[in-house]
Amino acid sequence: MKVDPKKCVGCGNCVPVCTMGAIHVNGVAEVNEDECVECGTCRRFLRIEGLNPTFVRLVRAVLAAFRLQYRAPLDVCPTGALYQPDLTWPRIVRKSFSDPTTVHAETGIGGRGTEEIKTNDVTGRLGPGEVGIVVELGRPGLGVRFKELQRFSMALAEIGAVFEKNNPVTHLMTDPNTGQLKEDVLEEKVYSAIIEMKTTVERVPEFLSVINRVGKSSPTVFGIAISAKCGPNGEIPYIEAVAEAGYELSLNGKTNLGLGRRANP
Amino acid sequence: MTNTLYRQGTRENLKGDYVLFVHPAKGYNSEGCEPKLQQFLKICLKYNPVNIGSEADLKKPGVPRTFEEKVESVMNTGAAAAVFDNLDSLKKALKEVKEADLGISTIITGLIDEVDQVCREAGITRHSVEHHLGFHGNTRRLAPQRVLEINSMCGHGCVSFKLVSKMIEQVKLGLITPKKAAQLLAKPCTCGVFNPARAEILLEEAREKGEN
Repeated sequence: MKVDPKKCVGCGNCVPVCTMGAIHVNGVAEVNEDECVECGTCRRFLRIEGLNPTFVRLVRAVLAAFRLQYRAPLDVCPTGALYQPDLTWPRIVRKSFSDPTTVHAETGIGGRGTEEIKTNDVTGRLGPGEVGIVVELGRPGLGVRFKELQRFSMALAEIGAVFEKNNPVTHLMTDPNTGQLKEDVLEEKVYSAIIEMKTTVERVPEFLSVINRVGKSSPTVFGIAISAKCGPNGEIPYIEAVAEAGYELSLNGKTNLGLGRRANP
Repeated sequence: MTNTLYRQGTRENLKGDYVLFVHPAKGYNSEGCEPKLQQFLKICLKYNPVNIGSEADLKKPGVPRTFEEKVESVMNTGAAAAVFDNLDSLKKALKEVKEADLGISTIITGLIDEVDQVCREAGITRHSVEHHLGFHGNTRRLAPQRVLEINSMCGHGCVSFKLVSKMIEQVKLGLITPKKAAQLLAKPCTCGVFNPARAEILLEEAREKGEN
């Protein structure tokens, strides 16, 4: 994202909206391009009033002379100073991972992950005895560079993680057997990116142990999620395995009700 | 389209937060599913959701629309979701969604044990579940719990820590009402799974407790 300095009147409304805290005002707003993840939230959130910048500056100067101040409503950019420049590789991965209104070219899916258990009743992605594990790096609110994500993916590949082929992170891997990512994306920062894999219930403690070990030195934060197909009476198969690994299950989560079916079985 | 898994909170305040959504499976039942997604949202609208959303909202971001307009603009890709702030509405909506037999994967995000009970009452045995195991790593960099509770209600985390903190501050100073602040906080969430009713309660609590 960029700010047109000719249009910006320095109202500062874009500063708190930025998900990465990458905007500051120095007379006019400036975007720290290295920290910006191209999520586009600032531009979507702020309504454009379309006022003439010279007029706004003049009014503010007159008001200031009388020790008065005019503050634009919080969700307004008075002059429409924010704009999205065309992005090229590798910076464009920032947008495809961070902006929920974009679709990944590789997977055709919006967002950062896949359908995972949301459609498991139809796709059968996770069968009996299988468990899905997800590590979402950078969320909430801090972001992650792919070089950090690679530390996790390579460590997990070492213990034989099978990465979800439709996940956009997997598409950035030069070799899913090693978890290594394309060299030119390593310094790119995104709001969050998800490593998605499946294993067996028995191996859950081993996977969580590796994630724990790598995560101890992480500069950012990450969330872990676990999913599975339930037993015939709705039993959750991974409760003991998670406890054995020393983790606590959340109170809330997603429940797939099993009401879906294939259109052409 | 929706990532409702990381919603933070206490058992008590999560009792006002249920997301009911349908998700077509690409390549299995997504073709021509638009009428079913519309039907789903129309059913949900009868039971006073506090928010709704669909993939179409991601394709046309920033266009203010009523719930009814959102229903009309549904596309045959991605999910459609409705957020309820009470269990009674969720139960009624689920009952009718089940009777409609849409054939599309239907998911509820909420307290796992409570949702299981709702399913059993509706004659449904849950198929699959997903839990989160918390946030880890450099958690010292995270915002306070109250901020996380509000931030995590956005499916893609687009409600920034700073915006939440600013709203808490403005509510405390009496510059904005909790209701208006909650509406503003819902705005960055393009997929429509943010719960403004719960946000309003959380902001009021923050004001009462003098939190920053």
